[in-house]
Amino acid sequence: MKKIQLGEFEEVVLLTVGVLHGNAYGVTIKYEIEKRLGREVTIGALQVTLRRLESKGFLKSKQGDSTDSRRGRPKLFFEITAYGKKALDYSKETRDELWNALPSLVLKLK
Amino acid sequence: MRKLAPPRFLLHLLKAFCKPEYHADIEGDLLEIYERREAEMGRVRANLRLFKDVIFLFRPGIIRSASLQPLTSHDMISNYLKMGWRSLWKNKLYSTLNVTGLTFGIVCFLLIGLYVYDELTFDNHHLQGDRIYRVVSHESSTNNGLTVVAGAGFMLAEESRHAIPEVEMTTRMQRTGRANLVDPENPVNVQETVTIADEHFLQMFDFPFLEGDRATALNEPNSIVITEDLAKRIFGRADVLNKNLQFSYMRNPVKITGILKNHPPNSSFNFTSVLSESTQYNESWFKEGTQNDWASTSFTVYTLLKPQANPDTVARKMTRLVLGHAALEPGYTLMCSLQLLKDIHLFSEGIVDGGRNSNVDSIPQGNPLYITIYSFTAIFVLLIAGVNYTNLTTARASSRIKEIGVRKTIGAVRGNLIRQFLVESLITIVLSFLIAVMLVNLLIPAFSDFVNKQFSLFSGASLRFWAVAVVLIVFIGIVSGGYAALLLSRFNPVALLKGLKIGNAGDLSIRKVLVVFQFTLSTVMIIGTLVLPLQVRFLNNTNLGFDKSLMLVIDVNVGRARSNFEWIKSEMAKVPAVQHVSVTSRVPGEWKTIRRVKAKRAGGAGEPQVAYVIGADKDFLSTYNIQLLEGRNFQNESDSSSIIINETAAKMLGISTDYNQVIEIPVIARNSYFVPLYDDVDASFKPHVVGIVKDFHFQSLREKIQPLFIAYNNNPIQVIDYYSVKISSHNITGTLATLKAIMVANDEREPFEYHFLDDQLALFYIEDQRSQTILSWVAIASVFIACLGLFGLATYAAEQRLKEIGMRKVLGANVLSLLILLSKDFLKLVCVASCIAFPIGWWGASRWLEEYAYHIKVSWWIFALAGLTAIGIALLTVSYQAIKTALVSPIKILKSE
Repeated sequence: MKKIQLGEFEEVVLLTVGVLHGNAYGVTIKYEIEKRLGREVTIGALQVTLRRLESKGFLKSKQGDSTDSRRGRPKLFFEITAYGKKALDYSKETRDELWNALPSLVLKLK
Repeated sequence: MRKLAPPRFLLHLLKAFCKPEYHADIEGDLLEIYERREAEMGRVRANLRLFKDVIFLFRPGIIRSASLQPLTSHDMISNYLKMGWRSLWKNKLYSTLNVTGLTFGIVCFLLIGLYVYDELTFDNHHLQGDRIYRVVSHESSTNNGLTVVAGAGFMLAEESRHAIPEVEMTTRMQRTGRANLVDPENPVNVQETVTIADEHFLQMFDFPFLEGDRATALNEPNSIVITEDLAKRIFGRADVLNKNLQFSYMRNPVKITGILKNHPPNSSFNFTSVLSESTQYNESWFKEGTQNDWASTSFTVYTLLKPQANPDTVARKMTRLVLGHAALEPGYTLMCSLQLLKDIHLFSEGIVDGGRNSNVDSIPQGNPLYITIYSFTAIFVLLIAGVNYTNLTTARASSRIKEIGVRKTIGAVRGNLIRQFLVESLITIVLSFLIAVMLVNLLIPAFSDFVNKQFSLFSGASLRFWAVAVVLIVFIGIVSGGYAALLLSRFNPVALLKGLKIGNAGDLSIRKVLVVFQFTLSTVMIIGTLVLPLQVRFLNNTNLGFDKSLMLVIDVNVGRARSNFEWIKSEMAKVPAVQHVSVTSRVPGEWKTIRRVKAKRAGGAGEPQVAYVIGADKDFLSTYNIQLLEGRNFQNESDSSSIIINETAAKMLGISTDYNQVIEIPVIARNSYFVPLYDDVDASFKPHVVGIVKDFHFQSLREKIQPLFIAYNNNPIQVIDYYSVKISSHNITGTLATLKAIMVANDEREPFEYHFLDDQLALFYIEDQRSQTILSWVAIASVFIACLGLFGLATYAAEQRLKEIGMRKVLGANVLSLLILLSKDFLKLVCVASCIAFPIGWWGASRWLEEYAYHIKVSWWIFALAGLTAIGIALLTVSYQAIKTALVSPIKILKSE
């Protein structure tokens, strides 16, 4: 199951695309992550991750309309694929498993 | 809404590196964000942030791959090759002209290049060669002037390796004379130079050993290391380790402790045997001669410096070392300098080869002037060939206009066209190169013979040469093809297809400049080929003031040939073919060192001055047919204190007719500095002048005639060394055999070494003769190449003007006027080229002739002839096309329109 393993930032991006449901393109994804996680996202890092996720089949994209401020450049909307969903599930499952396996003693440590 | 655009260069930058399929939406995102930021934080900071974003986008995954240009695929390249080949094939005439021209150029370039490369890589075989230096002594004294000798004293070599920390090793070498070296079991006389070196010699230099141990070969007394070649000459085979040899002058035999490979042809070392220096350590004369020898130049001293040592510093330390120990006479100064091993061959002008007896030839030296001339000619020829190519290709541009137009319309971008033309020129060049290499391969044996070197086309050592040659040739190919490619790909397709001419004045004038350039170089070379043989002929035909034809010069190599000369002379005189016999210490046109002395009139004022001395018997003047102006010849033994002087000497000494003047000769030159003639410092040889002879060129014509004393054969300065035999031309081999029999009857160890004087004299100018031939061939090649170019241009010009000529003919022009019309443009160019070439040629020729004390005048007719030749050849080339065009019937030309 190595293929559907997600990196941390990949997971964040994938989830954010899901959160933005239908309105996920470069700019919105960037601002959403920055707003929710409070960390800065460079366009370079974001674009590379989006393309990688797309090439792995976790995301699919389609060209949308443009706005005045984009001067005719189209928006590229992203959407989670079923495979992407599976990857998220897998990711969550493995984390949960690990959480459950954690002895309660450890968590009490301060 | 106000529209403020972000800096455009940032967006361009993004476009340049971003994958095209990602570009549109990323740029959209950037723009959207930019607008927001601009509203929030102002323009400057938004720009900065955008800049940062773009920079951070420059990462793998976003950057387009380099090979993403759509049309440069394997197919396209094979298409270029195919199209290139087709277009060459289609224009067979031009292709042949191009390939022939380039081939000629490359052949000349490669041959001359091989020669120059060989000269430049002299003495390159020694691993530590860049740290080995030769010690050069600069001596000056008030009465000697400055002499520069490649030699130093025994103790300098001995002590500098201890006293100077930068010196890693020193070694001494000495060439003490010539002697017979024989195998005692089977004595056949072989006269060899005696070379003596100490035990460090073989450690410093990497002479490859066939047999024997490098580390110990020269340690023991009476050890000798010989070359393979000498071993074969003496023993007939090379595996002669531990055998004995005997030098004629030594009591004990010497043991062979090593066999060396023969020296490569480009080595300054030409010894055939090396005797261990320790052989002499027990001799009392050696001990006395060397223990205080700081300032002599009797040894060639090489020193190996530590890495990074500065040779100048070391030389200063050596000077200090010498001055600290040597007891120099007042007025003497001495300075040491170090000369890099690799510089010895080419940069030893003015340095006397020291550490040798005067009867040993000095090491052969290269002439840097000729190397420069050759290098320039080689590059010029290649340039002419390259220019030719450019010229022909651009000239034919307009006939390919349609092709270029169609290609552009279909979608070829400029890069495609440039690549296509470059591929075409590369095909041409590779083809020429291959043909040239084949030709060079055929020519190399003859060429090697001719320049007296050994070349091989492909050997490990010449890899660097090939690398350089290939790079240079490809470079010339790309430059000459590149100009055409850039020019041809520049035009606007619409203009091309509408049938507009490339009426571009700019490149027309460039083409003219190129033609002028080619013909300037060619004319300069023609001038060179005229001046060189004239001077060489002058050198060989000048009346030297003595008779050199059929003059047989036999070396005195055994003691009995010297002591018993009266008998030998009388025996030789009995041979019918022998007209005159004379014994001398040196001969006119001598190839070994002629003794020098300093002399003045007895009781006369002033310092003694330098003069040359030849010892000769009473038959010398008649044998050499030297004219006696005043006084008398030698008569008998009582003349041993008489001398005959030449006119220059008479002038120097202030003697006119009142002969019987007494001359004082206090000092004599040893190697290059003067020492007292007798043990008693104040004594002088005091001969009286009995006659004055007409000046004759007893040295090469490079030198002015120097003062010369002809002393009697029995003189204290130099013993006799040669028999000069004037023979008749009838049955020379028979005469030689008879003479040899006489010499051998005198002493059975006689090796009978002889030369013909005129051959020997010609050797003075062999280098010039060689250059003459090389330059003539190069000149022919360059003129030929330039003519090919001109022919191509003329053909093209004629084709272009066909319609015009048709019209002119219809309107009544005659063939002659058309001929003039077609030729005059080119002739004008060639005339201009001649005008530029004359001063250059004059300057070059004068520079070269200055090397000779006696030389021809560069007269106007040489230039006239060179100019006329160039114009004549150009006219012939052009007129062929012109006549062909002028004779075409106008109907044929004009009917199609």
